[in-house]
Amino acid sequence: MVKLRARCLLVGDAAVGKSALSHVFHSDGTLFQKNYSMTTGVELLLKCVNIPETNDSVELYIIDSAGKETLVEACEKMWGEPSLLCLVFDLTSEQSFANCSRWMERVRAHSRGLHVPGVLVGNKSDLSPRREVEASVAQEWAQSQGLEYHETSAREMENCDAPLLSLARAFQSLYRERQEAIQNLSPG
Amino acid sequence: MTDSPLSSLGAKVVVASSSDENHPPENIIDGNTNTFWMSTGMFPQEFIIRFAEPTNLSSLTVDSYNVKHLKVEKNMSQNASQFEFVTEKDCEHTEGHLQSNSVSLNGGSAVHLRFIITTGHDHFVSVHRVGVQH
Ligand SMILES: Nc1nc2c(ncn2[C@@H]2O[C@H](COP(=O)(O)OP(=O)(O)O)[C@@H](O)[C@H]2O)c(=O)[nH]1
Ligand SMILES: [Mg+2]
Repeated sequence: MVKLRARCLLVGDAAVGKSALSHVFHSDGTLFQKNYSMTTGVELLLKCVNIPETNDSVELYIIDSAGKETLVEACEKMWGEPSLLCLVFDLTSEQSFANCSRWMERVRAHSRGLHVPGVLVGNKSDLSPRREVEASVAQEWAQSQGLEYHETSAREMENCDAPLLSLARAFQSLYRERQEAIQNLSPG
Repeated sequence: MTDSPLSSLGAKVVVASSSDENHPPENIIDGNTNTFWMSTGMFPQEFIIRFAEPTNLSSLTVDSYNVKHLKVEKNMSQNASQFEFVTEKDCEHTEGHLQSNSVSLNGGSAVHLRFIITTGHDHFVSVHRVGVQH
């Protein structure tokens, strides 16, 4: 049994639904913040995810940063050294998807060359008539970046646990991998 | 290599910022580099060793993996609080084998030693042995 701890960056363009998602994460799907308020800095949310069929859990320190261009630099100072990445775009906004590669670059610049496991989340799946990004296209790009792809609706609280579980599992397997490598080290 | 394990001298690890029951903090002071304590994510990480009595220390050896920056503090109090800075050290990355760093303590005695790993070369670090030279 082990309790892991990970600093998880929640990034993506403004208004894609990061704060809405993080509130669903936080409340186990029982609350959706309906009032839109432009995130003005960095919000920290703590979420503990139990990994099914194991006694392991991961405490996620979710850092919700503002997507507004003008605030990005101030936020980046708060990112620290990320363990995990949750990159969100809006399924009804082609532009928010196109900007994902810039978000990847920014995060990479903070990860000191370390592998940072992550997920790509296409949010607002409830607005299907207005969809601008095909699942297959998003899936393919996610794969090319080493991210796992999920679609969610923070409004309908649809599938919001999936990205968290996937992040927790990825961190757990990184831990197990590193542990095994350390077990096989030779003495200094 | 010649010193006896700290645990056999009555030392204990009284605080550790991570816990994996398969790799408990006692592994740091059992004198054996095959057993280790492992951090479970994020930095900083720390552990505090308490000696049975005020102990004179000239230097330490720390065997570890992926530690990048280590800070050492000490105190003479029965409580694990109010530490004074002793030294800090950048530790090079070693591929496939343990880091073995010696840390000079310029004499003086201590009841508690506090080790703060401010950052690592990877998401996780391990500490295999702390030994003291008197
Ligand atoms: N229809 C729909 N609207 C959403 C969803 N998630 C968020 N929103 C709305 O999108 C707007 C921006 O959400 P917010 O969480 O503040 O975005 P952020 O800037 O990325 O944090 C708000 O008006 C939310 O109510 C969703 O899944 N479906
Ligand atoms: Mg927000």
